[in-house]
Amino acid sequence: MWYFVVSCLDVTTLLLFASIGELLNQRSGVLNVGIEGLMLASVSLSFITTKLTGSFLLGFMVGMATGSVLGFLHGFLSITLKVDQVVSGLGIWIFALGFTTYIAAPYAGPLGMGTLGGRIFGISPFFFIGIAVVFVVWAILFKTNLGLKIRSVGEDPLVAEVSGIKVERLRYLCVIIGGLLGGLSGAYLALSYSTIWAFNPTMGRGWIALALVFLSMWKPWILLGGSLLFGTVWQLALSPELIPLLPTLPLYFYRMLPFAVTIVVMILISMERFRRKWGLAKPAALGLPYIKE
Amino acid sequence: MRIKLERRITLTRLDWFRLTVLSIIIAFIILSIIIAQAGKNPLAGFKEIFSYAFGTRYGLLLTFYRGILLIFTTLAFILPRRAGIWNIGAPGQLYFGALAMLGVALAFPNLPSIVLIPLMLIAAALAGGILGGIAGFLKGWWDVNEIVVTLMLNNIAYWLVMYFIMEGGPFADPFGTPDSATVPALAKAPLIFNVPFTIFLAIGLGIFLYFLLTKTKIGYKIRTLGQNPASARYAGMSALKLSLVVMIIGGAIAGLAGYHEFAGVPGVYKITRKFAERGDLAYYGIICGLIAAQSPLAAIPAALFISGMTVGGTALQRRLGLGYGLDLLFLGVLMLTIIAFEFFKRHKVLWIIKGD
Repeated sequence: MWYFVVSCLDVTTLLLFASIGELLNQRSGVLNVGIEGLMLASVSLSFITTKLTGSFLLGFMVGMATGSVLGFLHGFLSITLKVDQVVSGLGIWIFALGFTTYIAAPYAGPLGMGTLGGRIFGISPFFFIGIAVVFVVWAILFKTNLGLKIRSVGEDPLVAEVSGIKVERLRYLCVIIGGLLGGLSGAYLALSYSTIWAFNPTMGRGWIALALVFLSMWKPWILLGGSLLFGTVWQLALSPELIPLLPTLPLYFYRMLPFAVTIVVMILISMERFRRKWGLAKPAALGLPYIKE
Repeated sequence: MRIKLERRITLTRLDWFRLTVLSIIIAFIILSIIIAQAGKNPLAGFKEIFSYAFGTRYGLLLTFYRGILLIFTTLAFILPRRAGIWNIGAPGQLYFGALAMLGVALAFPNLPSIVLIPLMLIAAALAGGILGGIAGFLKGWWDVNEIVVTLMLNNIAYWLVMYFIMEGGPFADPFGTPDSATVPALAKAPLIFNVPFTIFLAIGLGIFLYFLLTKTKIGYKIRTLGQNPASARYAGMSALKLSLVVMIIGGAIAGLAGYHEFAGVPGVYKITRKFAERGDLAYYGIICGLIAAQSPLAAIPAALFISGMTVGGTALQRRLGLGYGLDLLFLGVLMLTIIAFEFFKRHKVLWIIKGD
C-alpha cells in the first residue's frame, strides 16, 4: 500500500512541475498548448545527455534548457510574431514530436546508471522540490509586486502597458520560466521517474498537465491538489492490482481512466453553477495576442 | 536602407501562394542543414524525396494511400476550424471509425460487397461522428475546452483499440498475431488503378465542404461563428447547434479515414499492432489545414504534397542511411516555418532604400 502511495507521488511530481510552469505562463496571458512537446523534447535530450556524459546534473540542466528554449520559441511566435497561441503551441508540439523521434531513436533502451538520489521514507525528494516550487510560484504571484504585474498583464495588457509595465518582456519571462519548469518535468521523467527510453515516453501526461491548469482555476494550491488527484488516478490506471476490492476489468479500461476523469472534471468546472459558486479566475487576456496600436 | 512593417488588410491569393511556397522553401533549407550535418549531400537527398514520392510507381501509390488519409483528416480539421473550433481529435475519430467498420465487416463477412462496404462506411462515419459530436456538444453547451477534450478522447480511443485487438479482445486475430483479425475479402475497398476508391470519397467530400461553406446558409453561419462569435450570437445563431454540426461532420470524415487506412490500403486490411503510427499521421492534417489556409479545395493538393514529403522522407532515410524519424522532423520544421510565416500573411515588409 505504501508503495502505491509513493508511486502516486512520483506521477504527481511529474504533473506538478509541468503544470505549475504552465500556470505561470497562463497567468501572464500566454497559453502554451505545446507543453507535451516541450516535455517530449526535454525528456529525450536530458536522457541522451546523461547517457553520453554520465552526469545527472548535466542531464537536468540540458532538460531545463531545452524547455526554456522551446518556451522562448513559443514566446517568439506568439508574442513577437503575434501568431495565434494555439497554432504556435501545436506547432511546437508537432515539431518536438518529429525532433524527438529523430534524435532519440538510436538511444532507445535503459539508461543503465541506476536511478538518481535517495528517497525519504520512499518518497522521491523531487516531490518536496515540487511543493517548494508551488510555494515559490504562489508567493511570487500573490505576494510580490512582480506577481501583481504578471497577473495584470494576463488580465488586461493594455491597462498594464499604460501603467508602465513592459508587457512583452514580462510575458517572455513567464513563458521561458514556464518552459524551464516543463523541461524540469521532462528531465525528471527521463532521469528519475523512468530511466528507460521508449517511444512517446510522456504518454499524454503533458496534455493532462495542461488540463490541470484549467482545473486549478489558475490557483497554485488547487493545482497541487489536482496533481495529487491525477497522480493517483494515473497510478491506479497503471497498477490497479495494488488496490484491493477493485473490479477486475481488462487493464486497457483502467488505462482510459485518467483521460475520462479529466473530461468529467473539465465538464464540472465549465458548468455555469460551478463558475458562479467558485468564481472563475481565468486570466481575461488568456490566448489573445497583444497588439500595440 | 531600413525595413518598415505595414499591416496587410487583405491577402491576395497570389500573395498567399507565394508566402506558402517561400515557407516550404525555408523548411527545405533547414532540412538540408540537417542532412549535411549527418554527413550526406542535401541535393541528393531532395532528389531522393521527390523522385521516390512522385516519380516511382510504388512511391506514387504510397503517396496516394497516405494522401487520402491526410485529405480526410485535413477536412476533419478544417470544417470545425472555420467555426472557430479546434478539432485535434482526428486520430481518435479515425480509431473509432476503424473499430466500427471492422465490427460490421466481422459480423457480416458474407454480405455482397455492394451492401457490406456502404454499411462499413456508414458505421465508420457514425462512430467518428459520435466521438466528434461529444466534443462539439461539450463545447457548445458548457464551453468545455475542445482541445483538451478531443485529445483526451484520442487517448481513450487508443486504449479502446488496444482492448479490441489485443489477445482475448473481441477483434483479436484468431491466429494469435498481435494484429486484429483480417478484414474479410468482400469488405476490402475496390481498387481503381491500384488506388482505393476512397480517393473519390475524399475528393468528393472536399468539394462538398467547399459548397457547404461558401454556398449554403449553414456554411455562412459557420463562418460567421468562426470570424465573429459575438455577432453570430446577436444574429440569433445557435452556437450549440453549429458546433455540433461541424464536429459531427468533421468526426464522421475522420471516421471514414479509419475505413480507408485499415480496409482500403492494399497490404494492410487489418488494424495493425502499430496502428498508432498510422493514426498519429492524422495529426498532420493540422499542418495541411494551415497550408491550405482552411480551404477545403486547397486541402486536397496540400494533403497530397505533405503525404509525398513523408513518403519521400522515409525513402531518404532508407537510401541515404539517415536516422529514423527524419520525415517527422521535417514536417515539424515545416509546421514551424508555416506558422512563422503567418506573420507575413498579416504584415507586409517594405524595404526602404535611402533617397527612395
